[in-house]
Amino acid sequence: MGYIAARGGTQAILNAELLVEYMRLHAASDPIGIDQIRDQMRAAVGRAMNEGALYAPNLAALALKQSEGDSIDASFLLRAYRSTLQRVMPTIPARGVDIRCQRRISASFKDIPGGQMLGPSTDYQIRMLNTLLMHESTADVQRILAEYDALIAQHADTDERAGYFPKVVDYMRAEQMVPFVRDDEGAEPFDITRTALTFPCPRSARLQSLAQADTGCLLTYAYSSVRGYGDAHPTLAELRFGALAIAVTHPLTGEPVCIGEIVVTECEIVSKAHSVAHNQERPYFQLGYGFTFGHSEVKAMSMGILDSVLSQAKRNGLSGESGPAANEEFVLLHSDGIEASGFTAHYKLPHYVTFEADLKVLERAVDHVESDALNPHAAHATTAKERL
Amino acid sequence: MRDSVTGILSRSPSTTVCALAAQALSMVSDPSVVVLSGPKVAMVQLRIQESVADTVFNGGEVLVTETRLELNGVFGFGMVIGDQPEYATALAVLDALGRIDGPHRAYMTDAVADLARALTTKHQREFAASNSTKVAFDTF
Repeated sequence: MGYIAARGGTQAILNAELLVEYMRLHAASDPIGIDQIRDQMRAAVGRAMNEGALYAPNLAALALKQSEGDSIDASFLLRAYRSTLQRVMPTIPARGVDIRCQRRISASFKDIPGGQMLGPSTDYQIRMLNTLLMHESTADVQRILAEYDALIAQHADTDERAGYFPKVVDYMRAEQMVPFVRDDEGAEPFDITRTALTFPCPRSARLQSLAQADTGCLLTYAYSSVRGYGDAHPTLAELRFGALAIAVTHPLTGEPVCIGEIVVTECEIVSKAHSVAHNQERPYFQLGYGFTFGHSEVKAMSMGILDSVLSQAKRNGLSGESGPAANEEFVLLHSDGIEASGFTAHYKLPHYVTFEADLKVLERAVDHVESDALNPHAAHATTAKERL
Repeated sequence: MRDSVTGILSRSPSTTVCALAAQALSMVSDPSVVVLSGPKVAMVQLRIQESVADTVFNGGEVLVTETRLELNGVFGFGMVIGDQPEYATALAVLDALGRIDGPHRAYMTDAVADLARALTTKHQREFAASNSTKVAFDTF
């Protein structure tokens, strides 16, 4: 056996790429603008940024256009582009309490300081196709914008908070419902882009890994733990969506320099399962943390549930020891959509040599079975080495 | 931090900030700008301090544009989220101008105050819209 060389593939590959472009454009519809994707496909843009681990809405929109809406391919394009950029510095750690909220809800308490705001959400709509969108016009856009202005005029106030609220978990800590736990990892977090994961891994590695994991994968693992392959019983302490100001350190003065805002989703999940942990002096609720770029509530909640489940498993409490979602190595090493899709897709590439070996194994197996059928006594008399 | 000068400048319209930088620079006699690096598109690693155990973790990268320059020998640093070279350079110019005495300082102070008011109004409008979705629960 040896290598099997193939010639003439370059032109075929170029032609294949042309066919992709043809498939996208042959119906002669207007090309989609990057700004249209960025503004009107917010969920897809957010997902591409999350899984590509790069906050860049314009480039995420471009990646979605190039990949024809394939979320994993779009995140792959972003992450590949990311590898060409210089990382100039880390930011000053940002905190969720500084999110300027547009949406903020809690499923644990009906009355939270500052109140609950549904914000931009379709959670409370009936899932019916809106056929009016098939013929959306400029006049429709103007009408919606006018309604928005009227809404603001109706609810205008000069509230200085303008969307800044205390955290529900801080209230829960003050009431001793959740423990005061402080991570002792140190100031420098683990960086999975520089160092390969080993297990058990620090929590910072887990959170970084989950933050860039595939949304569907996190959802599946979290759902498995909630539904029966585990014993998580999550309740949403708080979910917030809004703008988070980001700052870096001034290279001369050392003072914080704000560089703008990014749109994020953050949540804390309360797990009642760990309240029965045997090694605690006082029973507490346990928490899990979720964070995503853009507006990605299901991913943030899935991340929070998994963080809680994995923390419980690591503490070796009574809960969380069962189920695949409680296995940190299994979850973190199989939840990166780009790695998983790349590994799966590579099976489309030529495997002629390995498959030729498989063919030979199959031929020998067939020969063995046929010879057994013809002469069962003789076949059993020979050794495996002789048959080979 | 969000109410700081950079918090206001980095969240205001880029064209307004670029115009502000140009105007302030024109008030300096014999300005000499030497670009040390950039404007270059790069990324910063987003650090998040989460709320469960105060763990600081890397939440991903943020695309930024960075400019470093010297204005009459005074260092200036500008960084802004996104691919915005003019904006980053304007912020670097304003950063340097903030450390140089002259009549431009009063102009900048007034202009930043105007931007702050506009930003507050914008945020209050957004909050008013969100506030219209506030819910009150009744217990039966």
